[in-house]
Amino acid sequence: MSTYKLYYFDGRGRAEISRLILAIAGQKFEDIRYQSNEWPSHKSEMPLDQMPVLEIDGMKLPQSMTIARFLARQFHLAGKDNLEQAKIEAVADTATDLLNKFGPIIWYQEEPEKKASISEFFANELPKHLHNLETLAKAYSNGGSFFVGNNLTFADLCVYDVLENILEVDANILNQYPWLKTNRDEVAKNTNIATYLINRSQTEF
Amino acid sequence: MSIYKLHYFNFRGRGELSRLVFAAAGQTFEDIRYERNEWPSNKSKMPLGQMPVLEFNGTQLPQSIPVARFLAKQFQLAGKDNLEQAKVDAVVDTIADLIVKYSPARWEPDETKKKALLKKIFAEDLDKHLQDLDVLRKLYGDGGPFFVGNHLTLADLYFYNTGQNLLQMDENSLNNYPWLKQNREEVEKQPKIAEYIKNRPEMPY
Repeated sequence: MSTYKLYYFDGRGRAEISRLILAIAGQKFEDIRYQSNEWPSHKSEMPLDQMPVLEIDGMKLPQSMTIARFLARQFHLAGKDNLEQAKIEAVADTATDLLNKFGPIIWYQEEPEKKASISEFFANELPKHLHNLETLAKAYSNGGSFFVGNNLTFADLCVYDVLENILEVDANILNQYPWLKTNRDEVAKNTNIATYLINRSQTEF
Repeated sequence: MSIYKLHYFNFRGRGELSRLVFAAAGQTFEDIRYERNEWPSNKSKMPLGQMPVLEFNGTQLPQSIPVARFLAKQFQLAGKDNLEQAKVDAVVDTIADLIVKYSPARWEPDETKKKALLKKIFAEDLDKHLQDLDVLRKLYGDGGPFFVGNHLTLADLYFYNTGQNLLQMDENSLNNYPWLKQNREEVEKQPKIAEYIKNRPEMPY
């Protein structure tokens, strides 16, 4: 039995996708959260001086999406063969493109730039990524409610997590995207995810 | 008729990594290259209006890294098990971070601005990422010339191509990283790669 330790700050940020995977898999893990004032003394313990880091049986793995993809494969949420894995990763990468644009704005920017950047993002970035997600869903979902092949996979969790950040700022962003809305509802309905979300503490980010 | 078709522009860009994977594997494929003026009329054929796109068994796969990772898995260049794949992924993600750092400079159209940006990035930002790569090869490389586990993987191919771009922008950029230099030479020495490089069209990017 492998042991898992996940190191991150006390927030969702770039670690939540991995927490969602561990939750849905029902896998116990040490959810280590450093406050910002604790972080400097732990920085040198991480291979690339960054978090999240996953420690599996003593071996440290950096890079948030590497960790998430690894966990997805460990717990059979990554697709049944190479091609399905690739479809899932195409969706996940599209969601990550979104997070890479939006994350820095809400995590690092201050007012008044923040407000202007958010407006710009909603006007010029978000629509094309949502459209791209729906395009991939049409191509890969076999007509169902999940992104790839009729089962809940890493792709659905990734999109769920990224959109959560954006919905916090504007709860209406999916109004023109009924498939994405339904997909989101389906993820939230999963028993393990529902339980996880009820019990999860509210954090700043 | 090849079962693999790669659609990309007639330059290295985001398509070359996949071409290198095909080359390393000795796998034939249709290397469909578009000139810039041909692209607008073909754009709508691609799922996300972008390239590269891989066509395989009737499926279209977008997103350059998922495509490359899929091909690497198909040809046993992705890591021999889940954990090794994650180590390869961590290196790949770190190289991607490096590319994000230098891209604004690389594509700056104004020559004066470009020179200034390049100088700043090479002096201040790139070392962290190159050091990170050195850390990872020490952690995962088993003391050999390859990034992970003593054999050629996607990680080495990605660094090979990225290193070419770095050296183009600053021929001294790898002087402090003898292992990284040696790693590129090791990739170049592989007979199938050497053959591919000899025959491929020379492209500035």
